[in-house]
Amino acid sequence: MKFPRSVCRLLMLAMASVFLMIAPAAASASAATSGTGWIRLAHLSPNTPPVDVYLYSFGDSTAQLVLHHVGYGTVSPYEPVAAGIYSVAMRAAGASPTSAPVLSASVDVIAGNAYTVAGLGPESALRLQVLHDDLSTPPGKVLVRVIQASLRQHVVTVSFGGQVLASGLAFGSVSSYQTVSPATATVLVAGSGASASARVTLAAGTVHTLVVLDGTSGLTIDNLLDAAGSGDMPAGAAATGFGGTAPRAPSSPLPWVAVMTAGTLLALGGAVRFRHRPGARA
Amino acid sequence: MAGRPGAVLAMAAGLAAFAAGGIGLVLTRQPVTPQWPAAAVLPAPTGPIAAAPRPDAAPVPLPVALTIPAIGVQTPLIHLGLTASGALQVPPTASIAGWYTGSPRPGAVGPAVIAGHIDSYLGPGIFFRLSELRPGDRVYVRRADGTLAVFRVTSVRMYPKDDFPTVSVYGPAPDPELRLITCGGTFDYATRSYLSNVVVYASEIT
Repeated sequence: MKFPRSVCRLLMLAMASVFLMIAPAAASASAATSGTGWIRLAHLSPNTPPVDVYLYSFGDSTAQLVLHHVGYGTVSPYEPVAAGIYSVAMRAAGASPTSAPVLSASVDVIAGNAYTVAGLGPESALRLQVLHDDLSTPPGKVLVRVIQASLRQHVVTVSFGGQVLASGLAFGSVSSYQTVSPATATVLVAGSGASASARVTLAAGTVHTLVVLDGTSGLTIDNLLDAAGSGDMPAGAAATGFGGTAPRAPSSPLPWVAVMTAGTLLALGGAVRFRHRPGARA
Repeated sequence: MAGRPGAVLAMAAGLAAFAAGGIGLVLTRQPVTPQWPAAAVLPAPTGPIAAAPRPDAAPVPLPVALTIPAIGVQTPLIHLGLTASGALQVPPTASIAGWYTGSPRPGAVGPAVIAGHIDSYLGPGIFFRLSELRPGDRVYVRRADGTLAVFRVTSVRMYPKDDFPTVSVYGPAPDPELRLITCGGTFDYATRSYLSNVVVYASEIT
């Protein structure tokens, strides 16, 4: 059985092959206010057996999240986490949680930001790569990137409806995000010896990652929805009140002033009569 | 000719009217804050809890009703679009809330947006007590298939309307979230509108 040997080999490679991509991806402004970010975990190494993936908050030996028996091509949903430093550890499926991990990587989660921690490359050079996921789109547009995880077709070119998303993308690498117009169109993945296509809808205000995978025969395309928002963002604020419960403004002072004036005139009139009544002494 | 008693009576009545007018003038210089009864706390609705959205699964069902037990809100949800000027359409009546159809469906990935009035011309609207929500409070959205998407309030904010946080409210998010919008702050009688918006941020719990 070759698995233990490969595990030993991976152990040697472990810490040396941790990459931290600090691309200036845009964050979610709302989550930044509540101090949370997101992490998702992925196994994208075609010839690496299934793994158990552990997520630890820094300094805590008890895992916050454990995903068991994660096979090639699996991408977890986003896990909301408090901002801070985390470590992700991969162990062979079924290995003791206290055993030394095959691979580990640390992630500095900034509030409002999302990260994909993916096992990439061939088993012989497996690495955990931390990808910074973009959470904003230009108005009315779509952001798309490609993860090339096919070992059979080492270099691929990926297009969406004729627009090239990634050209000559090598196995184990990740393209930068491309801005495309929203559409339902064909994603075409072309390698030197095989190609694959899929009908994909990319809606305005969404962020996608297309993963190129080795299928049982040929290539497959996994379309991941990284983030979604309103495709058509309403302008400005919302007019959600008519004022019926607002403190009422003071009413006009004119009626009260009129009453006071009338009273003054009446009193003056009375006083004049009082002085000039017939028979009054001068 | 009126006699002496008539003149005295006129003077007394005139002074009384002057005093009454003066008192009225002083008393009505203060704004009037109406008082409303406290909200009834509702029980949490029951029903099957919605599963987390899957990328390949069918789209999540449309939202049909909203319940916020902590502030006694229970309302059907109508559909809201955009006005001719591109602003968020608001419900035609203050007693009902609406979901913005341009936003993700509640329980799908991204922030679903629901708006309701704080008040009508006469009294409290459906979101009169929205600003009383606190982090941790639960918000329930019933969908067309009877399932419930359950959200937990993460923050409650008030923004001047001329500084509305469009990206925070409508921009992309990587998980199912909810935004509840109403008015707040000072009411401007000149433009007959509130000067601020209250926004409640919530995330789905599964």
